Amino acid sequence: MSFALTSFRKDLARWRQDVMATLIWISIPLMIGGLITAMMGSGVTPHGVLLMVDQDESFLSELIAGAYSAGELGELISVEKTTLEEGTLRINDGEASGLLIIPDGFGDAFLNSEPVTLTLKTNPSQTILPGIITDVTEILLDAGFYAHQLFGDEIDLVKNLGDDPSDAVVGAMAIAIQNKMGSVAPQLFPPIIDVEIVEPPPTEPTPPLALLFLPGIILMAVMISANGVASDWWREREQGTLRRLVFAPGRLGGFIAGKAMAAAVIIGLVGGLTLLIGFLYHGIAWAKLPPSLIWISISGVALFSWFAALQMLFSNRKTASIISSMLLFPLLMAGGSFFPLAVMPGWIAAIGRASPNGFVAHRLTLEITAEGAWAIVISDWLIVIGAAVAGLSVCAWRLKSGFARA
Amino acid sequence: MLKVEELSKNYGDFVAVDKISFESGQGTVFGLLGPNGAGKSTTINCVSGLLQPTSGHASVAGHDVVSDGKAARQNLGVVPQEIALYEDLPAVENLRYWGKAYGLRAADLESRVNDVLEYIGLSDRAKDLPKEFSGGMKRRLNFGCGIVHRPPVILLDEPTVGVDPQSRARLFDMVEAERDAGACILYTTHYMEEAERLCDSLAIIDHGKLIAQGTVDELRAKLGARDVLQLSGHFPVDATKRAIEALVDGGNHDLEFIAQEEEGITLTLSQASQHLPVIFEAVSGAGGKVTETSLRSPNLETLFLLLTGTELRE
Repeated sequence: MSFALTSFRKDLARWRQDVMATLIWISIPLMIGGLITAMMGSGVTPHGVLLMVDQDESFLSELIAGAYSAGELGELISVEKTTLEEGTLRINDGEASGLLIIPDGFGDAFLNSEPVTLTLKTNPSQTILPGIITDVTEILLDAGFYAHQLFGDEIDLVKNLGDDPSDAVVGAMAIAIQNKMGSVAPQLFPPIIDVEIVEPPPTEPTPPLALLFLPGIILMAVMISANGVASDWWREREQGTLRRLVFAPGRLGGFIAGKAMAAAVIIGLVGGLTLLIGFLYHGIAWAKLPPSLIWISISGVALFSWFAALQMLFSNRKTASIISSMLLFPLLMAGGSFFPLAVMPGWIAAIGRASPNGFVAHRLTLEITAEGAWAIVISDWLIVIGAAVAGLSVCAWRLKSGFARA
Repeated sequence: MLKVEELSKNYGDFVAVDKISFESGQGTVFGLLGPNGAGKSTTINCVSGLLQPTSGHASVAGHDVVSDGKAARQNLGVVPQEIALYEDLPAVENLRYWGKAYGLRAADLESRVNDVLEYIGLSDRAKDLPKEFSGGMKRRLNFGCGIVHRPPVILLDEPTVGVDPQSRARLFDMVEAERDAGACILYTTHYMEEAERLCDSLAIIDHGKLIAQGTVDELRAKLGARDVLQLSGHFPVDATKRAIEALVDGGNHDLEFIAQEEEGITLTLSQASQHLPVIFEAVSGAGGKVTETSLRSPNLETLFLLLTGTELRE
């Protein structure tokens, strides 16, 4: 164990000389992750402002203002009343999604079935919200037209009622409206059909899409750094230190253990930093950080050992590096680093989850989206530990079977 | 201290080392001399445990390198031909690491590391990275890493290849110091002058076989006082051979052919300079044409030529 610690410290000291490589390993996934997050959005609902210049200030103009902020539409659009000058200035500066001008006399014109023009200016730098405002405005105008066609008599009555109508008149008008609604209901509303929607019970949590990208991005950092650290076997071979190691009595086990520990720290550091940024960005519970960090560190050692075993099969460093890198990117693709496994088609996701990094990313997703911490089951921990031990054993076999002697 | 018995190493049908035997004791330098590809490094690799011998035995301080390899390696210090250092680890850390690999700890380790740094002349560069060192400095550190654990047996595999004269002289001093301290040193080289200066006894190896063995004086005696004469030019093989044989029959009894080709002949005889006119006349009479003449006094290099018919550095 003593020589394992010596080798561990030696490898860490050597990596300190190569800070640039570590920075590159961190920056690549962060850059790609940042781009993906920027493209996919952060999961926050967009919100727009509709500026309204109400020059009419009638009951109808108030109704229109209320229609924009009613129900779910209110979560998307806030209505702010303003003056024509300020509204024009703000829409020209791009501070709002739209500017609706309701002209003086709009209410009277509507009640008298006279032509009237509503002016809607939209923000050309936005796409979705101005479109919603335009559609809502058209729907409101259509609704007003049909209301007028249906209830023209009642509207005329309201117009002539004055400020204090009697209860009998109001009651009669209500009954008339009710009767008309009853007669047109079959045309306005669809027939009643009972549809029983049977949904399968949810098998997995469905967290926000942006959060689902996080495990893949972390695994990208882990994979890139594991592949990079694995190349150290070749570096040692070219420096002749593996050969010198064979001369030393019975130190191979400690040497390999030290290298695995150093790999765990380096990969844990790179992956951990990515993890930390993800936790901060998504507000994930801190209790899940320790299991997530340990999970990616142990998995990182397993990935490191197998990358190393693969690289040690080839006769020169260049070939080893090319083959290893050629394997890296398809694995990243299949394992959900560029597109989350949760939103892949079922059969592709199944293949992805069977890939080494996909297996790790899938469990990491479970960990960070579960109700509580330590959600990864013990059998999965045993699988990655077993994979790490097996990979390191293959490395030991290659060292003994000639890799160190060449 | 170091014993090699009937050691062979085959790669398929190719015999890299063929039943070689030698022995060296405490406080001696044993040289293994031969051209590149002769089997020197293969022999060292078998002794160091890097390669498994096909047959035969080697033991270090009484421990068989195969059946008791761990103990044998603990008593062995190897200075490989290629530099074997952590270029990205300070010189002192290199020494500490390899010291720990051989079991040195704590104060003993620190004391020994400081001694070795002083010894190899790198005390003032202890914290520098080897990648910033000159070739000679790297060689010295390479040497230091091989002896940091005070091994009783040291294998030095062509330690002066590519080394500047100053560093070479320093390496010689270090080898002699280790010998004086009681170490048994196996030193491979293809430089005769190194072997003559450093080795108490040596073996000449060619094509995997030991072709001569003994002290430097014993080997010189094998050559006798005969010089080596090399003539370059164009020489009809049969006619030249007959002409030289006629000279032998005519009274030059110690004249001997070492090698003969159309482009050159190599002869050995005592006091060759006095016989040059006769030899030139005989060769010319046989239709030969001499363009270049080389006459060398007896040394290990000429012994190698005598034994193998080829130059050591070919």
